[in-house]
Amino acid sequence: MTATAPTPPKPITSAKDPRFAPTLYAHVGQAESWTLPYYRRNGGYEPVKRAFAMGPDAVIEEVKKSGLRGRGGAGFATGLKWSFMPLKDGKPHYIICNADESEPGSFKDRYLLSEDPHQLIEGMIIAGYAMRASVGYIYIRGEYVHAAERMWAAIHEAREAGLLGQNILGSGFDFQLYVHRGAGAYICGEETALMNSLEGLRANPRLKPPFPAAAGLYGLPTTINNVETFCAATQILRYGADWHAGMGTEKSKGMKLFQISGPVARPGVYELPLGTTFRELIYDWAGGPLEEMKAIIPGGSSCPMLPWTDSILDTPMDYESVAAAGSMLGTGGVTLIPKADCIVNATWNLVRFYGHESCGKCTPCREGISSWMTRMYQKLVTGRGQPGDVQLILDMSDNIGGRSFCALADACLGPVLSSIKHFREEYDALAGTQQPLYPARKRWKDA
Amino acid sequence: MSYFAEKQPLVADIFSRYPDSPQGRRSALMPLLREVQDAEGFVSESRMAEIAALCGTTATEVRSVISFYSTYHTLPTGKYHLQVCSTLMCALAGSDELWDHLVETLDVQPGEVSADGRFSVQKVECLGSCGTAPMMQINDDGYYENVGPSKCARILQSLRQDLQPLPDNPVPVTVGADGRQVLATGQAIGSSVTGLHRLPEQAGGEA
Repeated sequence: MTATAPTPPKPITSAKDPRFAPTLYAHVGQAESWTLPYYRRNGGYEPVKRAFAMGPDAVIEEVKKSGLRGRGGAGFATGLKWSFMPLKDGKPHYIICNADESEPGSFKDRYLLSEDPHQLIEGMIIAGYAMRASVGYIYIRGEYVHAAERMWAAIHEAREAGLLGQNILGSGFDFQLYVHRGAGAYICGEETALMNSLEGLRANPRLKPPFPAAAGLYGLPTTINNVETFCAATQILRYGADWHAGMGTEKSKGMKLFQISGPVARPGVYELPLGTTFRELIYDWAGGPLEEMKAIIPGGSSCPMLPWTDSILDTPMDYESVAAAGSMLGTGGVTLIPKADCIVNATWNLVRFYGHESCGKCTPCREGISSWMTRMYQKLVTGRGQPGDVQLILDMSDNIGGRSFCALADACLGPVLSSIKHFREEYDALAGTQQPLYPARKRWKDA
Repeated sequence: MSYFAEKQPLVADIFSRYPDSPQGRRSALMPLLREVQDAEGFVSESRMAEIAALCGTTATEVRSVISFYSTYHTLPTGKYHLQVCSTLMCALAGSDELWDHLVETLDVQPGEVSADGRFSVQKVECLGSCGTAPMMQINDDGYYENVGPSKCARILQSLRQDLQPLPDNPVPVTVGADGRQVLATGQAIGSSVTGLHRLPEQAGGEA
């Protein structure tokens, strides 16, 4: 035995690593980045040719090997999800891009849609090819008007160039793509609600099973992925599964679009390897907080908030580490909450959001969130709190959690339970003395 | 007066996106509603009936769908419909004060139109602009971002003269012209995208 296995290269877990370069966002903000000529000049529509050369099964294997997990929030293994689609059932298959981005704190997909639409189109052609789908829909939330216009324009460009339609690039693969605009409803981010909305119905979620891969849009096999997931697939087919798997941690591989909002020097979207710490995002990239902070929402408003401590700041942002810290990576939408703001008032804002967005289908959510939870918080923040109110909120949460039809009610409990856990004294103050520990203050000012 | 009678190519184009089946026809409901609202500013009872007939359903069903979503209007809005994001990330940047200011200055409540017909206001939930808070959307024309007090005053002044300012379309400053990200210190990090293209193009598996 003379030969020893070469030491595998150390995975990239910081964007400061010289081997790292942004790919998903590399062209966001460049002049004409949304046009086909620009996209092609920068290597566009080469990955899809590679996919056609590999064959559909090898594409799914490549995505599996890359370790890509869904970037919409749940983090389910993308390659595995793709492999759930039945292979030879003779039925039409659909793929849908979930571009309903409406989790508060998330704003990464809007820029992908409007600045690099061809990256998404290419990812959907690749996914459609792998999953034997002939039609794809991009469900864009109704408020993203500009993004929808850019997407339509890019689709028309791609059709003219023979990149969509019959026998794409001589591969024998037929694929059509359409934009379907939503009209303002958070619940449409839930995949079965989204399919109902696409079918022209009220967006109530459907019972699962059957799962969409068995019976989805129009009752036919369907797979839904987030915008960022499809775009990551394009990059995986460009640079290879090993490149993607060389970033991140053992179970959370690749790069992720992290968003940061709240009072920081440079809020925005940063493309970083999974496993980057909160501290690096907040201080090194976003320039640090502008005032003293007390809480971090790590991945969009439904992810339980975490206290502002050194150990949380040093937590790597990957699915497992954030879960071990007591929350979720979610969409990667990080929001900082200042020390001087009342946490009950901040949570009330989110409770109101979920109350407004509840679809009304099931009782725990309709009565529990839209009515009871909303009224309890109104009571507290308007100075009418009573001893026992916090316990009542906890009891209600017990009766709501895990009992609703979809995840929306549980999403509301994320901020509710975590804020009580970490900042109980602020609740007790409102329930006991009717006075907040941190009174309302002026925030509106010129940038 | 039918809205769609003389727009057969448009109607055909919308239906062509969906399967040629009763379910597929129903899928055209939201795009048809959008067409009407874009043209007329709201969806009237008669338009609901017309869309119902096209989609093979009833006007009641159409109204039921309209009522589910927050961007459809069944009554006319002002010439400028201001939609102010009110969710936490904007609230941390003062959107509550922005909202109060608009309601007081324009003397209009949600659901109303100002006396001169120019303004209506709507509190909306997160519009996905959290990095540029606070923000509002005017009609369907785009996002007005980082709307502080003086910017708000400038926007209202323009609108009062019926000169709608161009929306903001800023993109995150996080990626530089060479495709590299810039640290808060100003240092650009990592290889450029051009550099990355020189990575071994090893993908393709064993195919």
